[in-house]
Amino acid sequence: MDILIVIEENNGKVHRMGLESITAAQTMAKGRGFSIAALVMGSNADELATQVSNYDIGEVLKLQHDLLSSYSSDGYAEAVKQVVEKESPKYVFFGHTYQVRDYVPKISAKLMKPFLVDNVLMNSDEEETVFTKQMFNAKLYSDMIAMDEGPLLISFQSAAYSSDNAASGSASVRDVNINLDSSMIKTQSEDPFQEESGGVDLTSAEIIVSVGRGIGKEENIPMAKDLAKVIGGELASSRPVVDAGWLSSTHQIGSSGQSVSPKMYLALGISGAIQHVVGMKGAKNIVAINKDPEAPIFEIADYGVVGDVLEIVPKLSEALE
Amino acid sequence: MTQIEFTVIEKTILSLGILTTFGSFIYEVWRRLRIVFKGKQSFPLDRFGARLWRVFKEVFLHEKVIKGRFWPGFMHALVFWGFIVFGLVTVDHFALGFGHELMNAQTHKLYSYIVIPFSIFVLIGIGSLTYRRFVSRPKALGKISPTSGFVALFISVLMITYLLGETDLSPIVWRINWWIHSLIILAFLFLIPRSKHLHLVLAPINIFFKPFDLPDHTPVNIDLEGSEDELDAMLADLTEMTKNQALDVFSCVECGRCIDVCPANRGGGLLDPKNHFILDLRQPLLDKGSVDVLSEINVEAGWECTTCQACTEVCPVGNQVEKSDEIRRLEVLVEGKVPQEYQKLFMNLQESGNTEGRTDSPLAERLPTYTTDKEYVLWLGCFARYELDPNFTKSVENFANILDVAGITYGVLENEHCSGDPANRLGDKLTYNMLREHNMEQLAHASKVVTLCPHCALNLEKEYAKYSEVNYDVSHHTQVIAQLIEEGRIEVKKGSNGKVTYHDPCNLSRMLDEVDAPRTAINATTDEFFELEESGRNTLCCGAGGGLWWKKETTGRTHLVRAEQVVNSEADTVVTGCNFCYGMMNQGLKPLTPEGRSEIQVKDVADLVSENLVNN
Amino acid sequence: MKIAVLVKQVPGSDSPLPLNSNQSWLDENGISYVMNECDNYALEEALQIKEENGDGEVVVISLGPDRVQKVIREGLAKGADRAIHIQMNSDSIADPLSLGTLFADAIRDENFDLIFSGLQSDDLGMGQTGIIIGEMLGMSTASLAMATELSEGIIKVKRELEAGFFQWVSMALPASITIQSGLNTPRYPSLKGIMGAKKKEINIVTPGSHDVKQSAKKVYVPQSDKRTVMIDGSVDEIVNKLVEVFRNEIKVI
Repeated sequence: MDILIVIEENNGKVHRMGLESITAAQTMAKGRGFSIAALVMGSNADELATQVSNYDIGEVLKLQHDLLSSYSSDGYAEAVKQVVEKESPKYVFFGHTYQVRDYVPKISAKLMKPFLVDNVLMNSDEEETVFTKQMFNAKLYSDMIAMDEGPLLISFQSAAYSSDNAASGSASVRDVNINLDSSMIKTQSEDPFQEESGGVDLTSAEIIVSVGRGIGKEENIPMAKDLAKVIGGELASSRPVVDAGWLSSTHQIGSSGQSVSPKMYLALGISGAIQHVVGMKGAKNIVAINKDPEAPIFEIADYGVVGDVLEIVPKLSEALE
Repeated sequence: MTQIEFTVIEKTILSLGILTTFGSFIYEVWRRLRIVFKGKQSFPLDRFGARLWRVFKEVFLHEKVIKGRFWPGFMHALVFWGFIVFGLVTVDHFALGFGHELMNAQTHKLYSYIVIPFSIFVLIGIGSLTYRRFVSRPKALGKISPTSGFVALFISVLMITYLLGETDLSPIVWRINWWIHSLIILAFLFLIPRSKHLHLVLAPINIFFKPFDLPDHTPVNIDLEGSEDELDAMLADLTEMTKNQALDVFSCVECGRCIDVCPANRGGGLLDPKNHFILDLRQPLLDKGSVDVLSEINVEAGWECTTCQACTEVCPVGNQVEKSDEIRRLEVLVEGKVPQEYQKLFMNLQESGNTEGRTDSPLAERLPTYTTDKEYVLWLGCFARYELDPNFTKSVENFANILDVAGITYGVLENEHCSGDPANRLGDKLTYNMLREHNMEQLAHASKVVTLCPHCALNLEKEYAKYSEVNYDVSHHTQVIAQLIEEGRIEVKKGSNGKVTYHDPCNLSRMLDEVDAPRTAINATTDEFFELEESGRNTLCCGAGGGLWWKKETTGRTHLVRAEQVVNSEADTVVTGCNFCYGMMNQGLKPLTPEGRSEIQVKDVADLVSENLVNN
Repeated sequence: MKIAVLVKQVPGSDSPLPLNSNQSWLDENGISYVMNECDNYALEEALQIKEENGDGEVVVISLGPDRVQKVIREGLAKGADRAIHIQMNSDSIADPLSLGTLFADAIRDENFDLIFSGLQSDDLGMGQTGIIIGEMLGMSTASLAMATELSEGIIKVKRELEAGFFQWVSMALPASITIQSGLNTPRYPSLKGIMGAKKKEINIVTPGSHDVKQSAKKVYVPQSDKRTVMIDGSVDEIVNKLVEVFRNEIKVI
């Protein structure tokens, strides 16, 4: 195959970013007439293979091995490396997950093949495909090219491609094997666990629902909290809300609070004063709701609503449930 | 009044009593003074006359004692004046014990006409103070103090026994009464040096030696080319108190006025200046027997201080209370333990010479550049240069406009670096000296500097001078404006800004001693000026000083306390003379303004005057 | 116990980022440089381990032109014992395999027990160098460390996972770990540290050979066609449109 997609699992199902990689591969394949295969592995390989075979790709490679039943960086790196060596694709696509960041650099070192990471754009029209990543905390873009004939290891940033656009079809499933013994696995992992967070770590939240003075009074805060919960985000606020005592300072975003760059920042009743903006202007998508059409927040928002937060928020929570 | 001959036994007991208690008194005082004398530097003797005058005002007239808390202060004054009057009485009392009374019957009678009323005053005074301390129990006085109880009891009994002694008593009763009076005095002698009542002895001395400069921290000279031994010596030096500071600790009367005026404490923070900056050091001084105790200061409390000097200003016994400089410089220079947001601040100052790590200033580019033919260097400061509050840039331009109208030439320095105030107040003396040296070079050919930032003004004028001689004069912009108005070089009409009040910036009013110039300027623009509570030299800090503008987490609402006062004053416009105060008012007023009330306007003095200029 | 800490000098978060004339990289003039943020935490972690252990050596290592000596000195001032400077013009090296090769060659003979590096750099953001070096030197590796625990030749690392999950992973030394910000409180260099740093050894080494496997063809400011999309209508209409935006355009639900 020309493009091998390595599918990651998420609780027994195909990780959304795996589907995004399929979209990416299909995009490249169309332009260059490439063939695509996807690799699934681990204890749920059967289930994953079935799921992936419903997409418009050439084939699904199914890898099962005792030592791959749970993730280890050595195990996965060695396994994928062997598959790549045997199958010799031009490109190997990954979603840029924490797991991929942990083991794929090892493959890069083992094969001495470059790993072009966290791409937001891909231009595969020319012979020399250009992959674009963000640099300098997303202030600049960089067009990267590989100086090697391949296989090239490529990872895509979350939502660079849409999982919705992955064309369906049907693919055959083929078993593959590797040589793996326990001496090759140098790490031992315990079970993943969640922590009761004492403070609120807004910096790692993907979605932030933030309230400003426009929320009116302390009694209205639960409405925002509900929305945050329903949408799967964290609650935050601008400084005046903290100063008024409606929320603790752990929620504060701005020059004297936390700095965040989530996928989406929902600003409710926030005017957009500079002390607040410096803490959230790195957000990838800013959605602002404010009564005042002149509010500075609208200058930096991607989506804006001139309206009453107190009317919109409860209905929004309802619609999202 | 009855006369009696005391027996030999009585005289012996009396002598022994006096010798032991007096000896113990001398010993305890000497023990403490010995430690004080180990302190760094020497006691200042400059401005001798001014010092004496200050002692007269603050000790004999009880100026600060009464001003800070009127009724308790006045009651204390009664006790104090009674104490003075009783001096002669007490000596005479003991002289009588040895059969050599100083006053004859007639003198005694005449003097008693003065003393009796005073003893009533003292009873009234001590009675009300006792009620305040043990029944009303204001927070600043802290836990119930047994020694205070004894002292109150002693004083009361002394007055009563004195009064009784002036009536006709039977010999036996008179004798008993006399002995009670004597024993109480001896017990008093025993108690005084071991308690806060040592202020009786030390306060006048402490007030005499109090530095005139506010604040008066020792400069930290760092020689980067020095040897390791020199460095070790310098660092060891940082934990040692000066003589003045050590004397302060023993003079403290534990009244808690410093707590009452502390913005960090009022905002609900941890900081308690009375304990953290003074009393916590008392036992270490006594235990160690040396002045090497500055590292005992509570670190967390030390980071909360805004360095506003309200504590030092209000202290009735002449203490320089604030010690955040001392503890922070230890944390930074010796320990390397600095809150993360300050680490970034220091790095920015070192790398880019300003607090924000920026390289460009649109404001500076819009203003004329300084050349030696111009009258003033217009010093901008990082706050204005890098738009820490974007609205303030207009204030700078308004001041420039005033200067233009008055025909005064000025320019900004091309290579102006941060005056270093944040580094100085936060303890990073190394970065501070780097900035200072750079700026001194930039100012080498300047003679007059004017700035809108009192923090910059204070450093350029006074703090830099602690390290090397300074060749320029520094004015705050309100001083220049006031002068222009008084000299008629600009004409200002009265405008309409509703009810106008003024928030005195602590760096300007207390540390630069300037309260009149801003008022001259403001009163030229309005007839509706009124004073805020805690104004002038007693101003309540806005909460941004001491580097706190850059602090991330605060345990209290220090930055809101003053804003709340402004809101409650129902002013329409609040005027300030400092960019930090300006920024803090802008941040603090909105959330605290009740619904329905219109927003309070925040203006700088320059804004107000520029708006109302006649010859624009 | 020998611990290497790889530190990178990068433009500060508020630094201007001027591009060079052919837009192949930045123009160094006018950039204010600092130590990469995660590296600061990596260094602190190493120093704390050395202090807890009672003995050991922390070596800071950096690759780049003369200006990187500033962050090397910073590392020494904070408590590292000595340093290695792989001196070369690192402008526009955007290839982790090259960097990995250069570092691995320079430190192979040192036989470090631990290599700590930042999770990723604030400039390139590749996030691979530490793992690649570990792999090249036959060490165990782990990334995104939020805590470390060292005992008898074994290091346990608390890895950060997505969605608020964590996982403890143990491995035998030698190991190369990439460190995430926030796992400790980095110290500030004390005055003694700053003065003492001047006397500590910085071993300047010439770089070995390396093959460049990826490079930046062009660096540019992303075009932001940011025009705020205003959503209006009745409250219900607005709510529906918002849900659609969340789902299909921003893709967070």
